Amino acid sequence: MTQSRTSTDRLEGLYALALCLYPAPFRLSYELAMRQAFRDALQDRALSRRALIPLVLRDLFTSLAKENLAMLRDTFARPTLVFNALVLSALATGLALALNTIPQQVLRLGANDPQIQLADDLTARLEEGIPPAEALPAGFVDMARSLSSFVIAYDDQGRPLASQAQLNGQTPAPPRGVFDYVRQHGEERLSWQPILGNAHGVRIAAVVQRVGGAHPGFVLAGRNMREVEAREEQVQQMAGLTWIGMLAVILIGTAVFGWYTRPKAA
Amino acid sequence: MATGTAPSAPLSPAVFSILLSLAESDKHGYLIMKDARAPKGGGVQMGPGTLYGSLNRMMRDGLVEESGLSDDERRRYYRLTNLGRSVLAVELGRLNAAVSSARSLGLIPHGGRS
Repeated sequence: MTQSRTSTDRLEGLYALALCLYPAPFRLSYELAMRQAFRDALQDRALSRRALIPLVLRDLFTSLAKENLAMLRDTFARPTLVFNALVLSALATGLALALNTIPQQVLRLGANDPQIQLADDLTARLEEGIPPAEALPAGFVDMARSLSSFVIAYDDQGRPLASQAQLNGQTPAPPRGVFDYVRQHGEERLSWQPILGNAHGVRIAAVVQRVGGAHPGFVLAGRNMREVEAREEQVQQMAGLTWIGMLAVILIGTAVFGWYTRPKAA
Repeated sequence: MATGTAPSAPLSPAVFSILLSLAESDKHGYLIMKDARAPKGGGVQMGPGTLYGSLNRMMRDGLVEESGLSDDERRRYYRLTNLGRSVLAVELGRLNAAVSSARSLGLIPHGGRS
């Protein structure tokens, strides 16, 4: 009899411990009643322990999951809370996109600055009738490796006349469509990826201008974009980290706010 | 105070067996569990967690309420509300129609028990 009582007390103690895993409001409301129901079940001679223990264990697993999920749903899945979190997340996403796009545009547009002046100067000299080979500044630029600005003069058909730069030993020319556009509009600013041999990865910030006068043609001033693209990538990484940070703050803030404003048990 | 909406049929086995048990009289937790376990109560094996979780939601939905009767502060008695009785009647009607249909298809012998 004493041994049976000890065993019952131990089971009741274990059950009481397991009840600590229920959400606090539920436990406050039903702990005593649940312990009493368990005690009644232990004392019910029609229900063997062998049948009761697996039943209670199964019940604990399923109802613990259910009640804790219900508590999470009641705490965090309230429409106002979810709506506020979504609005804040949308604002954070918009801000992160702006942080990514605006500096990238500024960097990219700034990459054209020296070339604009170089193209203007060379165009003016060519229009004065100076031969292309003499009009070009001195020096040689390897387009694949150097970050220096360079200029190339083309004839009216887009064939190179004189060049300060080469890629894989040749003077590349932009696609014919660029010359057609410049013929109509006077100037084009573009990111140009010359395709010569295996130099596919080289990207050039290029300014192409129309040359008028007795010997019409085109002038291209360019600069390797390697460094600018590296900075753009850094900006992208910083914007990405900022976005993740803002979302984390919103998530934590929503969780904390949801917890402190959760509906209280009746 | 009921704040939720009454469940539409079909009811979960636990909710159905609780309603069926309380249709007889006001009862406390373990008596409801015992009724549910019996064949006439649906044969639903239910522990205290499922029972009180279901009762909590049923009270919120206005299907049951505490009767206030108690022979012990740890024993809480529950009773059906009018809404609970209506929901049970609808569920029994649905089950009855299903059983009649099964019987007409010869799946259940006439006059037999399922």
